[in-house]
Amino acid sequence: MTNFWSWFLCSVLWIASIQFSNGQEKIDFARDIRPILSDRCFKCHGFDDAAREADLGLHTFDAATADLGGYQAIKPGDAENSEIIYRMESDDRTEAMPPAKANKPRLTPEEIAKFKQWINEGAKYEQHWAFVHPRERTSNIERPTPNIELGENEIDFFVGRRLKQEGFNFSPEADPHTLIRRVYLDLIGIPPTPNQADEFAGKIKSEGFLPAMESVIDELLASPQYGEKWARHWLDLSRYADTNGYEKDRPRSIWPYRDWVITALNADMPYDQFTIEQLAGDMLPNATLDQKIATGFHRNTMMNEEGGIDPLEYRYHAMVDRVATTGTVWMGLTTGCAQCHTHKFDPITHTDYFALFALLNNADEPDLDVPTEAVHTSRADIRRQVRREEHDLMSKIDPDKFQKWLESEKAAVVEWKTIRPTEAKSNLPRLAILKDDSVLASGDFTKRDVYDLKFDLSGIEKPITAIRLEALPHPSLPAHGPGTAYYEGRKGDFFLSEMIAKIDSTKVGFHEPSISFGKIYIGSGKVVPEGVYDGNGSSGWSTATAEGRRHELVLNFKKPISGKVLDLNLLFERHFVAALGRFRISVSTDEKIAKARASDLDLATAEESELKRLYVRESPEFAEARKEIEALEKKVPAFPTTLVLRERPADNTRPTFRHHRGEYLQVKEPVAPAVPAIFVPIESEANRLNFAKWLVSEKNPLAARVAVNRAWRAFFGRGIVHTAGDFGLQSKLPSHPDLLDWLAVDLIDDGWSMKRLHKKIVLSRTYRQSSVVTPESLRTDPKNILLGRGPRFRMSGEMIRDSALAASGLLTQKIGGPSVYPPQPASVAAAAYGNTKWPAATGPDRYRRSLYTFSKRTAPFAAYLTFDGPTGESCLARREISNTPLQSLTLLNDEMFLETARALAASCFNPTEAFRQSEPAGLKIFRTVLTREPTDAELAGIDAFFKTQLARLESGELSAKDICGKDDPTLASWTLVARVILNLDEAVTKS
Amino acid sequence: MNLHSSTRRQFFETCGIGLGKIALGSMLTAGISRAATHFAPKAKRVIYLFMAGAPSQLELFDNKPKLVEFDGKPIPPEVIAGQRYAFIQPDAAVLAPRFPFAKHGQSGQELSDRLPHLAKVADEIAIVKSVHTDQFNHSPAQIFVNTGGPIPGRPSMGSWLSYGLGSETQDLPGFVVLKSGGNLSGGAAMWSAGFLPGKHAGVPFRESGDPILHVSNPKGIDDQAQRDSLDLIKKLNQQHLKAVADPEIQTRINSYEMAWRMQSAAPELTDFSKEPKSVMDSYGKGDYAKNCLLARRLIERGVRFVQVYHSGWDHHSQVENGVKKQAEATDQGSAALIKDLKDRGLLDDTLIVWGGEFGRTPMVEASAALNRSQGRDHHPQAFTMWFAGGGIKPGITIGQTDELGFNVVEDPVHVHDVQATILHLLGIDHEKLTYQYQGRDFRLTDVHGHVVKKLLA
Repeated sequence: MTNFWSWFLCSVLWIASIQFSNGQEKIDFARDIRPILSDRCFKCHGFDDAAREADLGLHTFDAATADLGGYQAIKPGDAENSEIIYRMESDDRTEAMPPAKANKPRLTPEEIAKFKQWINEGAKYEQHWAFVHPRERTSNIERPTPNIELGENEIDFFVGRRLKQEGFNFSPEADPHTLIRRVYLDLIGIPPTPNQADEFAGKIKSEGFLPAMESVIDELLASPQYGEKWARHWLDLSRYADTNGYEKDRPRSIWPYRDWVITALNADMPYDQFTIEQLAGDMLPNATLDQKIATGFHRNTMMNEEGGIDPLEYRYHAMVDRVATTGTVWMGLTTGCAQCHTHKFDPITHTDYFALFALLNNADEPDLDVPTEAVHTSRADIRRQVRREEHDLMSKIDPDKFQKWLESEKAAVVEWKTIRPTEAKSNLPRLAILKDDSVLASGDFTKRDVYDLKFDLSGIEKPITAIRLEALPHPSLPAHGPGTAYYEGRKGDFFLSEMIAKIDSTKVGFHEPSISFGKIYIGSGKVVPEGVYDGNGSSGWSTATAEGRRHELVLNFKKPISGKVLDLNLLFERHFVAALGRFRISVSTDEKIAKARASDLDLATAEESELKRLYVRESPEFAEARKEIEALEKKVPAFPTTLVLRERPADNTRPTFRHHRGEYLQVKEPVAPAVPAIFVPIESEANRLNFAKWLVSEKNPLAARVAVNRAWRAFFGRGIVHTAGDFGLQSKLPSHPDLLDWLAVDLIDDGWSMKRLHKKIVLSRTYRQSSVVTPESLRTDPKNILLGRGPRFRMSGEMIRDSALAASGLLTQKIGGPSVYPPQPASVAAAAYGNTKWPAATGPDRYRRSLYTFSKRTAPFAAYLTFDGPTGESCLARREISNTPLQSLTLLNDEMFLETARALAASCFNPTEAFRQSEPAGLKIFRTVLTREPTDAELAGIDAFFKTQLARLESGELSAKDICGKDDPTLASWTLVARVILNLDEAVTKS
Repeated sequence: MNLHSSTRRQFFETCGIGLGKIALGSMLTAGISRAATHFAPKAKRVIYLFMAGAPSQLELFDNKPKLVEFDGKPIPPEVIAGQRYAFIQPDAAVLAPRFPFAKHGQSGQELSDRLPHLAKVADEIAIVKSVHTDQFNHSPAQIFVNTGGPIPGRPSMGSWLSYGLGSETQDLPGFVVLKSGGNLSGGAAMWSAGFLPGKHAGVPFRESGDPILHVSNPKGIDDQAQRDSLDLIKKLNQQHLKAVADPEIQTRINSYEMAWRMQSAAPELTDFSKEPKSVMDSYGKGDYAKNCLLARRLIERGVRFVQVYHSGWDHHSQVENGVKKQAEATDQGSAALIKDLKDRGLLDDTLIVWGGEFGRTPMVEASAALNRSQGRDHHPQAFTMWFAGGGIKPGITIGQTDELGFNVVEDPVHVHDVQATILHLLGIDHEKLTYQYQGRDFRLTDVHGHVVKKLLA
């Protein structure tokens, strides 16, 4: 006991000394010295060798104390003879530090005094706190001993200790109605009904405070709405949006990823697993569909579809975003600074940056089909129907006509011999030769791709008369191919500009070209088969609008040629990527002129039924009759798709290079994948999966801290580290470092359970406090950094809308699915490129939770943006909380909010009530929105307003129908009341 | 006047009820004027006429007779080596300029015959023929001009000014965006506040419905009902403020009052009925002309930065017709704005900037797939801008391109230099206006930019 107390006292004193020392108390390097070094000195005397001035670094003890030729910048123990002090104090423009050109303030006398003291005390450098694992730090801190009798937990131990040190105490508990509203808003994002709130208040009386709290928390954590609420926070980080961004900002399908997040959060998937699946789910052994969908996290980057861009340049920009986002979310590091040069403030070199880049840079970026039960069934149904109708038509075939047709067809077709390439090379894409002799392309593409193929013709005995190129579908290609276009043009499109054939080095002359189908998309040009050998790269063959099917191009030779080797050169040149994805080459030695056919059925060997089916499909006899079948086939629904990562095969890894100044075109030496040198390296192979595992291992000191800090910020409006995405040397020091570390370790040891972390926070006394501000607390701690009162801050735009929908009873409870279009003025979407339409939903989708609102990057939903919502253009770790007149205009005048006021009034007002006084409906409206009981003064104000408006409505000055949709002045007046209540500060604030 | 139901056209033409100039909230922008200039400003406000799509300098400003000689022949390979293009292959043939040039004014500024109105104020403008940029696609290039970076997410010039200088208006947003002519590639990223606080973002005036979103009362609610509602909101908020004492509630009360005042003042701004006929006539017809006039009315009311975007200059095909059409749509309005500001004594401290995001190739663009011919592709290596008003030396031409109009050969002016110069004219050292984000001090000019001294009066 004695030992414990002496240890305890020592700890307290030590903590007090490092946290509240002034003047002559001991200097804390991390608090007193490093922030100044970092801010005023490191830019020229920091980690970046290239930017270092006067060959002096102040970032490490060794560098700062190096002999500079008889003197030292810092001479430990001797401030008077340390050059740095002289320079800090100097008034001479040529030697003063920091110099005028740095645009940095000079040091104050107090700051210089601290430096002197620090140097005199030995100039000890300490590792930046965030780079030391919290487990290591918590082993040196006092173990939390919460006062359980006061309903405190470990959180309160740390917060209370700090409050006490500053001479403060916790505020009283919030009243039950305020608290229950706070808990509902924080855990599920919508307020409780008055009944739920009253029940909670009753439970407190009968069961006690904590048991009542615990049961409601457990209930809310189990609610599917929990996942919806917390997914929104995660989607800010993952920069989720439903469009591609940049100029055209076309729609994309990645909502299955959004739904994955909701499901994972509802299942309380441990945060380490949650991390690994999103960063590298595709690389897990036997990856499930869900694990692949999870990799959408890093597919939320923008994609530029502007005509004529260099696609690899924008892939590079997307990679830059991935590195920055990974740094922000899991490492609390602003890695972006090191894109252009070695980080000036944090120990990340330029090469470190690209090593991190390399860890994420070895994936292809395909679309993935997400087969849903409903679409499966629908596809099968339609296909069965097609078969039935085919059979029906086949039974009506006139045998004579059929025979005649078959004979003429047989006479016309030529025999094709498929030839297998002996070599397939390209400027960049990987070309693989498949079993069926077709060639499959993958990897990276440009807007001018060239394929060079070689074939051995020794098996062809007669002179060759024609060549056939089959463009073939494949599931790995965009829209299943046959092309590789994935932006700007239709997905799966291709454009064959030129095809040059040489037999034994002699160029083949072509004539009589034909195609089974041809259509150009983007541009009003026409497909001309001759275009593939006219020497003009802008004319050629394309099969847009018929993706996922086989097509063919046939070129006849001007004269038959024999030879040993065929060299085939294919050029694909458009203003977007348009290479073929899968194709096969055949030759004919037939003397007839060969013609392209839509079907590849071999007429000589085909069964009677197949031939009949072909007849039904191609003969003029059924031209009219088969239209129905064709229409039916158009109705076959495609599976929903989502964007995923797919690790590249070992024979086609993508190299990473250092880019000088971070510029795409300035490629320098290759860089191998690795984590920044300041950290313990990845032990196993340095790839994306092992990096993901490393991030949530004990080797990364930051992942748990950053996660805890984020959760804290969501509840309290301010992180323990205020600069939420930045824990580096330039970051704000934590307000409660021990609490942060303790919670981080606790999160890890608790199996990375986010729900348990949230429960711990919500159950704490710190969280349960009243948020009423006292004049004293406003003066001493206006930002509530010490947490001496409960949180009170404006809700997000999405929460404001969801709460209004919930209160009015309009909210549609449906989880997941494609994004929806709630009402907003047409001018918002119309301002975006292409005069975009906003097809406002009229059914239940009009009132879905805001999380499901279609998120268009260049024209975000106006109401959310006005309340500081994200654009989805980059990772957002910390939303602003502003308070502007444009927000007032939205809540007052936006049709969407007026609708909720109407519905709210209608649900609270009972027209059969005998007397139409304000009290019953007014009270109900008030409580439904704000949860608590109104005061008499508030009710009186509402009553007076109600009566004034009612009088105007009854006199015809105002039109009830315009306001509430019915000729009912009372309801209209209640609608106006509801509108006022929904506009109150309290209605848009979590308090 | 119910702005909610009026079309853009009505919005301009309806005689508003003229509620008079009622002070509006400055909190739309920076709130208080910081008056944080680094030195005495030459200009107090900016009207930026942004010609989106990139006008052909070869058809308007940069007279290159040599191109006639080279018409139909490829550019020498040493000139085009290593260049990236959006649509064409670099060996495309030269296309001769489509219009004749002549000299104008006492200064002898050289302009093509497509700019007859600008020719009349040629002595007021400074032409820079040597602007160049890093970006060769519209969206990144437009965002680059506006924010100093090619990727969405950085603060725009107008928001930097709002952040640095605060607002001069108590009535309106300090940074307003007007648009005409159709699609705008760079989109909202061009007036975004980026990582600056959101209140510094440009407020785009909408082309249908309310010019400022939700500035009209909803259907059925008259001004009296709106005022009554606001009074009750205020009363209940005040009561709650007493109970919980959070100063944020007071801010909310103020926001609602400012919203009310904005609702009253918007119609006055857009009511052109008191403009003299001679002024209306001088601007000419069309949306761009009206936006130029509206820009003048905005700066008269203290708005700091007005961006007037006009799209339609992206002439990949038939550059001759295209330039003809867009010059007709914009020449008169731009010239009238210069003259109108001068007549009112506003030109001295108002900076007018005219320019696109890059230039157009001396080579022809033609494509069978796209069905294009006789066009010009994107050309980041050289393009022309002009400047007028506050702090600009009038009647001069700066910079030259080579005889094919391909590269700059004299006084190169990078986009970052343009930005540095605009800030300089407003009294700001572009290297000192910074904002810390993600652990780094950011500025409009990234780590580049030099003030173009030759442009300064």
